[in-house]
Formats: sequence, structure tokens, C-alpha cells
Amino acid sequence: MLDSISFFRIIKTGLTNFGRNLWLSMAATMVMTITLVIFSTLFLLFMMTSYSLKTIQNTVDISVYYKIGLPEEQINLVKTELATDSRIKDISYVSAMQAFDDFKSKHQSDPLITQSLNELTENPLPATLHVKTYNLEDYPAIAEKLNSDQYKDYIDKVNFEDNRFIIERLNKILKFIVTFGLGLAGVFALIAILVIYNTITLTIYNRKEEVEIMRLVGATNWYIRGPFLTESMLYSLLSTIITALLFIPVFTKVIPVVIQYINPQVSLYNNSVVNFAYLCLVLFGIALVLSFVSTMMAIRKYLKI
Amino acid sequence: MIKFENVIKRYTSQKALDGINLQIHHGEFVSLVGLSGAGKSTLLKLIIGEERIDGGKILIDDVDITKVKKSDLPYLRRKIGMVFQDIKLLPKRTAFENVAFAMEVCGHRKDKIAKEVPKILELVGLLHKKDNFPNEMSGGEKQRVAIARALSHRPVLLLADEPTGNLDEVNAAEVIDLLLKINQLGTTVILATHAADLVNKIKRRVITIEGGKITIEQQKGKYKL
Repeated sequence: MLDSISFFRIIKTGLTNFGRNLWLSMAATMVMTITLVIFSTLFLLFMMTSYSLKTIQNTVDISVYYKIGLPEEQINLVKTELATDSRIKDISYVSAMQAFDDFKSKHQSDPLITQSLNELTENPLPATLHVKTYNLEDYPAIAEKLNSDQYKDYIDKVNFEDNRFIIERLNKILKFIVTFGLGLAGVFALIAILVIYNTITLTIYNRKEEVEIMRLVGATNWYIRGPFLTESMLYSLLSTIITALLFIPVFTKVIPVVIQYINPQVSLYNNSVVNFAYLCLVLFGIALVLSFVSTMMAIRKYLKI
Repeated sequence: MIKFENVIKRYTSQKALDGINLQIHHGEFVSLVGLSGAGKSTLLKLIIGEERIDGGKILIDDVDITKVKKSDLPYLRRKIGMVFQDIKLLPKRTAFENVAFAMEVCGHRKDKIAKEVPKILELVGLLHKKDNFPNEMSGGEKQRVAIARALSHRPVLLLADEPTGNLDEVNAAEVIDLLLKINQLGTTVILATHAADLVNKIKRRVITIEGGKITIEQQKGKYKL
């Protein structure tokens, strides 16, 4: 095991190596940063698109208007039958009376409507059901079922706003982002691995004599490898910091606006901070894995211990 | 202390060492002589685990080093000092730093290094040159710094592979004198060389290797081929 003195010496040598090949180290850091920026952009686009999709999905439902004056037991019959359908997630019922009250309170400031309502002897509004399904694909079938002869004595009208077109478009965009984005990120990850591999190989070459002597005087294998790993970890750390700095304005300014636009009822400021911290952590993880893989490849090939 | 039992080492199909049987005791000074390519360096490399054997056994203080795990080799190397013909000093470090480097990489504390290094440099007669860089020293001085570095772990065994190969007569004699002095202080020394004059002056045990085999062994010998 490494003692603390050796640990600090490894870190120090790693930092020195970084400084000695400053240009190469910067190049490695930059390529890693580009990779991380692509990953972050991908992550954000994915997050935004899937959030929009979810919001739109939530707005889809089927409104079922009962015939006016339908007795309570018949209303319940339809409700109970629908409740047994496993495709249905939620049924909310608005009685004719409640619909009338809602309408009244909504238009209470309009004297013309209030007066007209007062002149009515009977409630003109029907009882309604709002039906939501688990899967979007099930809406047309449920709408069709409600329009069938089975219910024609109870139901006056079935209203189903088909948002499937938009949803399908969004789904396509999401798929494209994932495929194209992952492809691009993959290519840059490969470039990052190659650049770091080359940088570490050069560092190993530059320190060939030192490594040989270290080995001969009895330095442990991890003591010899440590500085190279430190150096590549430094690339990861720096590139994560640069990417995070680049994305701070996006998280503080752009995302809250976009989210407000998609769904005005939600305030996501806190969520955005948590998401940012989470993203930074994931980015650092990705950077560490990439640099560790390339450094270990270079070490295995060129560092003869 | 060191025992070779029927040791075989092959490079591709050629035998570099062919059935070596040898015993070296604590405190001995052994000269290993032979032409270039006879197998002297290979024998030394086997002792520090730099090369692996293809047959036989090598025991150091009854421990079979051929069975030492790769990850434990550094600890074996800390007990054995080694110097080379090409010296291998770090050019951008002073004499002091070169010796200190060996101690640093093995995890010694700074204060211990500051105390020990001057003592070792004094032993090799170079304390006055502690702040000089290798390019400011003669070949003999550089080799003495390398010996100081090899001594930094207080090894029980010092291996010297052609340490005078690149030195003139005077410098070479100085290095040999230093090795003898170290031996007198209790360290076992194995010197691989093909410098006949030096071996003849030392008048200690001489082992001659030819074609990977020990051909002559003399207790107070001379260079014979």
C-alpha cells in the first residue's frame, strides 16, 4: 500500500509532468472538454425533449359527454365498466350540477350570462368523464369503444383531441438526438482517448530514464504508474471544470425560460441546480473513465515495469 | 547467501546461461569475467528479477527469487544495489538529488533523506560535489554517484555490471577501490567485467563464464580465458 509521503510525491510528479508538456496537456484537456460539451448538450436536449413530451402527453385525454338528464345509476354503469379496463389510468367525473356551478362561477362577472343562466329552468350542461390511458396508442381504441352502439344510449358525444402527431414527431426528434448525439459523442470520446493516449505515451517517453532508474532502485509499480494516472486525472478535472463553467449560463438563464415556456405552472429553479450538480458529476465520471482507459492502454504498451 | 542451482536462461532458442551452479557467501567479493555476450549481465539481471529463468532455481538467503511475485520485486530490489556501465544518472539533477531520488521513490521521509545522502556521498568521496550536475563531473565521479545511489537503501548485495567499461585507467581504479571499500564494510559485491588488469589487481574470487557456462572458478584468482 502507498503511504502518504509516496501519495503526495506521486501527485507532485503528476503535476510536474502536466506542466512540462503544457501544450500537449492543454490539447488533451481541450479534446476532452469538447467531448464533455457534446455529452452535456446531448443530455440537455434529451432532458428538454423528453420533458416536453411528458407535458404534452399529460394534456391528452378523452372527454365523454353524457346525455342530458341521464340518471345517476346509468352514469355509474359506464364509469364502472371503464374502470375495469386495464389500459385506463385515470377517470375523473364531473357531474352536471358541478359543471353548471363551475360554469356559473367562471362567468359570474358577466351579467349577461348570469342573467341568462338564472332564466333557465333546467341544467343545460351534461355530466362528463375525463379518461386518461397509460399508453398513448390506446386512446383511439378507447374512443372507438365509447362511440360504439354499446354506449349510444348513455353517451351523447366523445371528444378526443388527437395529439399523437405532435407526440410522434417529438418521439422521432428524441430518437434522433439519442442516435446522432451518441454517435457524435462516441467519435469524440474515441478522439479523446487517442489524444490522451498519445500525450501519456510522450510523457512516458520523456521520463524513460527516470522510470528505468525508479524501477531499478525498487520503486513499486503503482509508484511508477501513479504520476501518469494523476496527469490524466488532471485532464478530466480541468475539462469538467471548463465544461461546467460553459454550462452555468445555460442552466441559470436558458433552461428555466424553456421550462417555463413548456409548462408555465412549474418552477424548476431548484431542480435545475440539482440537475447541474448531477450533470457535473456524470461528466467527471465520463472524463475519468475515458482518461483512465487511455492512460492504462499507454502504460501497458509503453511503460515496461 | 546466493545460490544458483542448474540455472538455464534462453533468449529465443539460444541458451544465454546453460546449467549454472554457483554459491556466493555473505561478504564475498566476486569478479565475474568473460567476453561480451558470455552471459555475465544475464546472470546479474536474473538476481534482480529483471529477467526470468527458464530452468533451475536461484536462492537468496534461502528464498527462491524465481517464485517472487512481480509486484514484490521492488522490495527485493531494495535489498540489492546495482550499477551499470552507462551509469544512468538523471542529467537534470545534482549528485545529491540523484541519490535522494532513489530514497524518495521508496517512500523515505525528507528529513531522513537530508541526513543520509551526505553520509553516503562522503563514503564515496564526493560530498564536495553534492551540488554538481552529472555533466560537471568526470566519468569516475559519475560512476561513484551511481554507486552512492545504489547504496542508499543500505543493500546487502551490490551488483556492478561493467562499471569501469567507459572509464580511463585512473577513474576505473578509483571505482574498483570504492567497491572494495564497500565490500570491507560488509556488503557482498559481484563485479561483472572484462577488464583483466583490474581483476588481477583485486586478487579475490574470480568466476569465468564462457558461452553461458562457468568454465573456471578460482578463490584468489586472475583473469583467465
